[in-house]
Amino acid sequence: MSTKIRRIVAGVSGLAATAFLAGCAKDAPQDTWQPKGSNAKIIDDLQQPVFAIAGVIGVIVTCAVVYCIIKFRDRGQAMPEQTHGKPALEIGMTILPALILAGVGVFTFRTVFDLSKTSDTQMVVNVTGQQWWWEYDYPAQPELGITQPIITSGQRIIPVGTKVLLRETSRDVIHSYWIPALNGKRDAVPGRVHTLRLDADEPGIYAGQCTEFCGLSHANMRMETVALSKEDFAAWVANQLTNAKSPAEKTLAKEGEGVFLNQCVRCHQVNGLKKVDGTPAIAAPDENVWAGAAPNLTHLMSRNTFAGAAFDLLSKKCRADVWGASSETVGKKYLAGVGEECLNQTDLRRWLRNAPAMKPMYADPAKLTSTNGKYRGMPNLGLTEDDIDKLVAYLSTLK
Amino acid sequence: MFTPGSKLFLGLTGFVLAVSVIYVALVDNSIGGAVALLSVATGTALLAGLTLFNRDGEVAVGDVAAPAGAEPLTSSMWPLVATVGFVGVVAGLLTHPIVFFLGLIALLASGTEWLIQSWSEGASSDKTYNASIRGRMLHPLEFPVLALVGLGVIIVAFSRVMLAVSRDAGAIIFIVAGAAVLFVGSIFALKPSLKKTLVVGICVASAVGVAASGIAAASNGLRADLVEAKEEQHFSHKECGEEVSEHFDHLAEGTISLRSNAVATIELRDGKLTARELGVAKVTQTITFPRSNSATIIFRNKDEKEARLTAFLGTKAVQDGVVEEVLDCTQMIGKDHEQALTFKIAKSSRASDKPYTLTVPGLEGQSIEIMVP
Ligand code: HEC
Ligand SMILES: [Cu+2]
Repeated sequence: MSTKIRRIVAGVSGLAATAFLAGCAKDAPQDTWQPKGSNAKIIDDLQQPVFAIAGVIGVIVTCAVVYCIIKFRDRGQAMPEQTHGKPALEIGMTILPALILAGVGVFTFRTVFDLSKTSDTQMVVNVTGQQWWWEYDYPAQPELGITQPIITSGQRIIPVGTKVLLRETSRDVIHSYWIPALNGKRDAVPGRVHTLRLDADEPGIYAGQCTEFCGLSHANMRMETVALSKEDFAAWVANQLTNAKSPAEKTLAKEGEGVFLNQCVRCHQVNGLKKVDGTPAIAAPDENVWAGAAPNLTHLMSRNTFAGAAFDLLSKKCRADVWGASSETVGKKYLAGVGEECLNQTDLRRWLRNAPAMKPMYADPAKLTSTNGKYRGMPNLGLTEDDIDKLVAYLSTLK
Repeated sequence: MFTPGSKLFLGLTGFVLAVSVIYVALVDNSIGGAVALLSVATGTALLAGLTLFNRDGEVAVGDVAAPAGAEPLTSSMWPLVATVGFVGVVAGLLTHPIVFFLGLIALLASGTEWLIQSWSEGASSDKTYNASIRGRMLHPLEFPVLALVGLGVIIVAFSRVMLAVSRDAGAIIFIVAGAAVLFVGSIFALKPSLKKTLVVGICVASAVGVAASGIAAASNGLRADLVEAKEEQHFSHKECGEEVSEHFDHLAEGTISLRSNAVATIELRDGKLTARELGVAKVTQTITFPRSNSATIIFRNKDEKEARLTAFLGTKAVQDGVVEEVLDCTQMIGKDHEQALTFKIAKSSRASDKPYTLTVPGLEGQSIEIMVP
């Protein structure tokens, strides 16, 4: 072997090894090659053979090109005889790819139709995107124990083995919902409702992120789907249907409720929260936020991430415990919510101190002319450390 | 030292500069128009420089000049149009921007035509050749513009006529006009030997006829029932109760294409209201509607009687202490017709004492509740 060829071989095998090792990443929650639901498996059944075919062809073409480059490189030899056209080869090279593509096409179409099936849906969740978080609302479905609509954000809870239909839309710009382990992606478009069906085989937490560029914090617009066993799901529903209870008098949390009524309730709804005069406090995010919505915080501590699932509500240790749990235990651990010993105080405080510093948002009061003075995201409210202490105490009660 | 080409472009540059000064001084001193005019000036100045630099691109003067004794050139109407345009520009500066822009368009169009015509006429001594290169330059511009203007006139004239005459007369006029076009067109096609003047005559006469009837219809105004419907404010759906207006479009949006985006379809059949939500197979009396987001429902009437769907969307304070119901509704529709209704409910159901509902005015005891999470 000449030194040149040896160098090429070394280079190619180096690249191959890198690619191979990169493919072995263990902590890859958004790996499209690890389907965990039936629709994702339908896609996987298509992409495996297509990838194999494409891979074989890719290798053949690459080898042929490399061979030609090496074999016919300019060594000062005479110009070979020039010919033009070779019908048999040309026709063959047109028909063969056409056949392969037609074959792939047939299976692709079948997959597309399989994926769009909704007739055997067992549960519906409305998914609404806005800059830069997802809201989920569950229409009343008495057969599932959901007697009143449920509303939550960031983490979507579904019962395991249940065919769930997402009805996606958006309140501002186009977003796209994608949980790679459960199905492909689907755009959430303002003014339209797009459906996407998915289900999970096993209890667990499945991560994803917005896959349609949607502005400043697109990269921080993440989401999770939590699949729970049927019993655990029923427990979750029962909890979500309850209203928040007012903290006992003369506690820090009670003072926090006061701060919340002053500062937060104009955007955030807490079901059951009453104003000082005893009437229900109704949030008005439509008057303060450009998208017209802010997360409902009634059961904030029942989810374990916040602000578009971009940050953890759980401390590092507790998070590892829940997220690393086996499919048998994950449900119970998730339902335990965020207890006092597990609360990620640092990040929650940082958020309340100055949210836009943590997650870029259009929240500078001086620059809101294009949105009629409404914020996109949560503004810096200039709270004192004292207020933050009280608020954290209050928020911790929202189980 | 100044070649003919550069003189033309220098003149244009000077002219546009003058116009922009006048424009900024008299018409509109905001930046937009001035920028546009100055860009034109920059362009012509650049062209002037180029033509000066390469001496009009002429290799050897004399080669292409028309030989002595060649036929005199045809007269051109473009100087006349350009003059009218110029007058329009000046008059527009004093009167109305519209006149100014019409004048400017005339000026630009005649300038282009004039420029290319004189260029083509000097190209060779062969007149047909000259005409052909003129056509090659200008037809791609002229044809689309003329077609657009022609179509515009036809559409505007026809629509005025249709709005002025009664519905039935409108249908008859359409049928007769269509048949006439087909008939005359067939004759033209079958008899290519027809005299050219006759063909042109017929075309011109019908064009004038269309435009004239359009003008006549426009000055005559809308037909009575449309005027009345407007007075009743029917088009803005001001009232969502039982229909009192007579003059409304009974078939408006008879069929719609929003189907795939409706969160629910509401059906009226045998005096009963039912709802079906997107993606859910069963029929219900309660629908969930997104909070603080515009969304659409479809109303389908399967009963003989005309009906409309009215949505109660909560209340709003109009003045201190005065609260008004927020209603929205579809058009009145007949049997087997559909209407889409797009609305937005900003606050969840818990903000309203009375549930949000969908009802059909005049139909007692039937109502679909809208739940807003
Ligand atoms: C002007 C409206 C507005 C006000 C006022 C406001 N927020 Fe927010 N808040 C938002 C928006 C919008 C988000 C979503 C931001 C994102 O995820 O991108 C948010 C997110 C949050 C979250 C994360 C919730 C989740 O489930 O992801 C918490 C917690 C929170 N806010 C607490 C508070 C508290 C406490 C206050 C009062 C001190 C407050 N907010 C005041 C608009 C507001
Ligand atoms: Cu997004």
